[in-house]
Amino acid sequence: MHYFLFLPILVPVLLGLGLLIAQFQDRRVRSFYIMASVLLTSVLSFLCIFLSWSQGMESLACTLVRFSPHYSISLRIDGASMVYGGIVSFLWPLVTLYALDYMSHEGHETRFFGFWLMAYGVVVGIAYSEDFLTLYLFYELLTLSTLPLVMHAMDEKAQYAGRKYVVYSLSGASFAFIGIVFLVNYGIGHLNFTYGGLLDPTRTAGQEHTLLLVFVAAFFGFGVKAAIFPFHGWLPDASVAPTPVSALLHAVAVVKAGAFAVMRLIYFGFGADFLRGTWAQTVVMWATIITIVYGSARALRTPHLKRRLAFSTVSNLSYILFSLTVMTSGGLVGGLTHMVFHAFLKITMFCCAGAIIHRSGREYVYQMEDFGRVMPVVFGVFTVVSFGLIGVPPLGGFAGKWMIASAAVASENPLAYCGIGALILSTLLTALYLITILARVYFPIGKLDQEALSQISDLSLAMRVPLVLLAAAGVILALCSNPIISFLQLVGQGQI
Amino acid sequence: MQQGLLLYLIFFPLAAGLAIFPLGKLGSPKLRDLCVQALPLAELLGALLLLWFQGGSVQLPGVCGFGLSFTAGSLRTLLAVLAAVLWAGTGQLCPTYFSHGGDCSRFYLFWLMTLGTLMGVFLAADLFTLFVFFEMMSFTSYVWVVQEGTPGALRAGETYLAVAVIGGMSILAGLLLLQQLLGTLTLDQLSQAVSALPAEQRPWLYAAGGCCLVGFGAKAGMFPLHIWLPKAHPVAPAPASALLSGILTKSGIFGVLIVSRYLFWADLPWNQVILGLGVITMVLGAVLAVFSIDLKRTLACSSMSQIGFILIGVAMQGYLYGENALAAWGTVLHMMNHALIKLVLFVAAGVIYMGTHALDLNDIRGWGRNKPWLKVTFFLGAASIAGVPGFSGYVSKTLLHESIVEYIHMLHHVGASAAPFQAVEWLFLFSGGLTAAYMTKLFVAVFLERGTQEFPPVKSYMSRGTQIVLACGGGALLLLGLMPNLTMESIAQWAGGFLGADHGHAVHYFAWVNLKGACISLAIGAAVYLIVIRSCLRNPASKRPYLNLWPEKLDLEELVYRPFLQKLSFIGALCGRLLASVGEVFVLIGEKILFTRAPARFQPKKDENFGSYGKKARRFLVEETFSFDLILAGIGLMALLLYILL
Repeated sequence: MHYFLFLPILVPVLLGLGLLIAQFQDRRVRSFYIMASVLLTSVLSFLCIFLSWSQGMESLACTLVRFSPHYSISLRIDGASMVYGGIVSFLWPLVTLYALDYMSHEGHETRFFGFWLMAYGVVVGIAYSEDFLTLYLFYELLTLSTLPLVMHAMDEKAQYAGRKYVVYSLSGASFAFIGIVFLVNYGIGHLNFTYGGLLDPTRTAGQEHTLLLVFVAAFFGFGVKAAIFPFHGWLPDASVAPTPVSALLHAVAVVKAGAFAVMRLIYFGFGADFLRGTWAQTVVMWATIITIVYGSARALRTPHLKRRLAFSTVSNLSYILFSLTVMTSGGLVGGLTHMVFHAFLKITMFCCAGAIIHRSGREYVYQMEDFGRVMPVVFGVFTVVSFGLIGVPPLGGFAGKWMIASAAVASENPLAYCGIGALILSTLLTALYLITILARVYFPIGKLDQEALSQISDLSLAMRVPLVLLAAAGVILALCSNPIISFLQLVGQGQI
Repeated sequence: MQQGLLLYLIFFPLAAGLAIFPLGKLGSPKLRDLCVQALPLAELLGALLLLWFQGGSVQLPGVCGFGLSFTAGSLRTLLAVLAAVLWAGTGQLCPTYFSHGGDCSRFYLFWLMTLGTLMGVFLAADLFTLFVFFEMMSFTSYVWVVQEGTPGALRAGETYLAVAVIGGMSILAGLLLLQQLLGTLTLDQLSQAVSALPAEQRPWLYAAGGCCLVGFGAKAGMFPLHIWLPKAHPVAPAPASALLSGILTKSGIFGVLIVSRYLFWADLPWNQVILGLGVITMVLGAVLAVFSIDLKRTLACSSMSQIGFILIGVAMQGYLYGENALAAWGTVLHMMNHALIKLVLFVAAGVIYMGTHALDLNDIRGWGRNKPWLKVTFFLGAASIAGVPGFSGYVSKTLLHESIVEYIHMLHHVGASAAPFQAVEWLFLFSGGLTAAYMTKLFVAVFLERGTQEFPPVKSYMSRGTQIVLACGGGALLLLGLMPNLTMESIAQWAGGFLGADHGHAVHYFAWVNLKGACISLAIGAAVYLIVIRSCLRNPASKRPYLNLWPEKLDLEELVYRPFLQKLSFIGALCGRLLASVGEVFVLIGEKILFTRAPARFQPKKDENFGSYGKKARRFLVEETFSFDLILAGIGLMALLLYILL
């Protein structure tokens, strides 16, 4: 029982290694093995969340390795862990189901799913880590375990993207590490996440500016994974990866790990009170504001569908980061809310994009004229989630934006008002870059190649089910968002 | 009961839309058409029941995260009933209009969903709920505009959507500010919260109100955000045009009314702005309508002009403060009249379009000569909107006119200069005259003149349902206009409560004082028609006598908005790229320091393992990197140090 929390991390990693070693020949056995492993992990993960919820957070906390009386590799679940871990554990099986069918035409499935399972364990590790050292360990592991997934195609573009990803991520993490070292030096003696920050005021006196500089470095360091401008370059290029990777890792797991780490840094490391109103806040907030506008503007000018969605992710991640940099409990709530809803919406969008590529091989928006007629299910789902992402009220994106904006207004920071302007401008751009797709698809211009169109059909059942389930989950979540938001408010106030 | 009714009004059309969508796809179009005619009638029944079950409110906490709340009564109920009437009316036209093919299942889906969202707008008890449904309505009604799928429709749709989204975002910004300033968005508490606001926060209130005005004004078709109106109407199907112009613009006006009434009650600068914009919208719309030779575009410009009349009413309510009954009544009644009139006129336009497949006056000239039913109903609508005494439009316009006159009297009484308001009065009468002129132009062209092309008399050019709608609509206009004290005044008394109107006093509509304004207006109209339209805008010798003098070049969208946005996006992209390249340079330097340059080619092996590097021999890679240079520099420095020390 003592190491129970380690299970959802260890099990998928071992099973993934097992898959790489076993090299199943029979497709059906392999698929069964993969699906069973993922489901097992999710069950374990949810069990951990449930046990922590019902028996108190300390009941499952465990230490894996102890370096010194104060520094260790240890795991513990708190409110924020529940949010991120819950999202990941819910979405991973659905996308795996989708990927099993999708990857059949990409080849090298054993290798792919081996690392896919390992990445799952590592992401759960990020979610359930108790202190900065553990977080940092899993954060680096995440880069390494997902690299083969990004470079899966192994052609020149994929290699380039993979190299870029590694350079960006590793150098980012090294900056983040500087931040952790300073937290050790100026902290209260341990690195466990503490709501309100773990800096020791007696030690920091006189050193504020150095610490702020380090904070900015660490923010951008972790921000690399969350694609903060100007270190976002790897994300759009990484869209050469197979679609399940883009969907799960580059819309949810990896990029949100970046946002999650930033959240830990601000609210549980340096402390929002220490940072609020300083020049460091101004710098990082400017960066997020620029990213918000830049990401959506680039998305508008990108004709490649997956790249466009990737730029949209860049912009949306900065909504989360912007909300976090407001440095109030409201900001934390807003960030977490958008993290939840954006995860569901964007993953569904990428799955739709993958479905289009899978069935027709077309990747550019202008090639998709009249697809609304030939692929009704895919584009029905795509339409709903598009409006969700734009923020048309009853659907998900709106709640997040409203929470972020009201947190920004409440903070009474003049720059935050600027941020609201950026948010609104970005919403406008979001509407443009998504609706231009929808307009192409439903209202074709010019002559259509009917013959080519007639050969494209809608999805097989195995891919349609997760797609519709994802969209339905997103819509239901948005319509019944009250319990979630009240839970997030508890998290935001540091009560869980 | 009331609560169930409110929820029914909002969610029944939403559900019904989703339910009949598969019906059309599965191949029972007959049943679907029947549903389209019957469902709005069921909705209308519900709306009428609201008149009996007054009051009542519903809270839906937790939906959309923050909870929605609805309530009914007064102006809200009136607008809800009007919306249901318009949907029921256009529903009768729809099946025949779309019988020539095309994918109308999609249209019906969004047509019904818009009804639900519009009900949500009118019945909202707080601004948040109103905004939620307002946004949904913008998007669902977009599909109407692009329904035909022609390039023109797509472009108009673009404009419509851009205006709607910018407007929506503007409202969102305004509401966020309001929430912060006032701490509440519930309509009933707004006035109190505003009066409790400290004076130094006042500029922020103006900012918030301005943001809301942009959004609501854009939907209403207020200058300078009217650009979507003349574009969207000609390309949208006739049932959609009727609704867009008849009731969707009213949702914008409803928003403006709420902001004016609850946030800026009797606030002088605010009312000046509204009045100014109202006057420009009114005159501009009327002038554009005179130049237009497209049937539906003329009607669209006319809508714009009427919105200007209504906005003047909104402003006059603020000016008159305690004695605002006339202005409030005029506003409410003109909203109602305009909705009914536009229903009749656009349905008639739809019938004309079905018969001729053209909208250019030169092509449809004389089509209505031998169609007495259509001729009579179109005349009722035209006379009504032109403000001819005895028709409904006369009453509301008179009330609006009287409110201006009353304010001029008030100004004279206190000895202040009333010159600006005299100018407003004259512009008001002049625009009324133009209204008469362009409606005469339409009526003469379609129903009186003999066209170049002979249209053989057709027996059934419209369905029974359409006939009933036109007859009922026209009859209502006549009934309202002939017995204003009985019908319209009681409606105004009831609906004016929402706007805080006092009881007012009975008006003698057919006394000379009031008739005078209409007579001046009609005289101007006759002069404009005879002098400008007959002799300048018409070339009798030609086969196509109506000259197309529509000012294409003077398009605010093409001249200002689109170039502005394009420039802006170009500059933004340029700055973005420049800034982004900073990051790339950093990474490049980092790569140079940390990594060797990409060695040789990367050759993937065929099995399921990693690829490997190619055969090309690695040279001394350190020579090529910056780190090697650094090492050399370091060694050099150390040598120097050793030399100095030793």
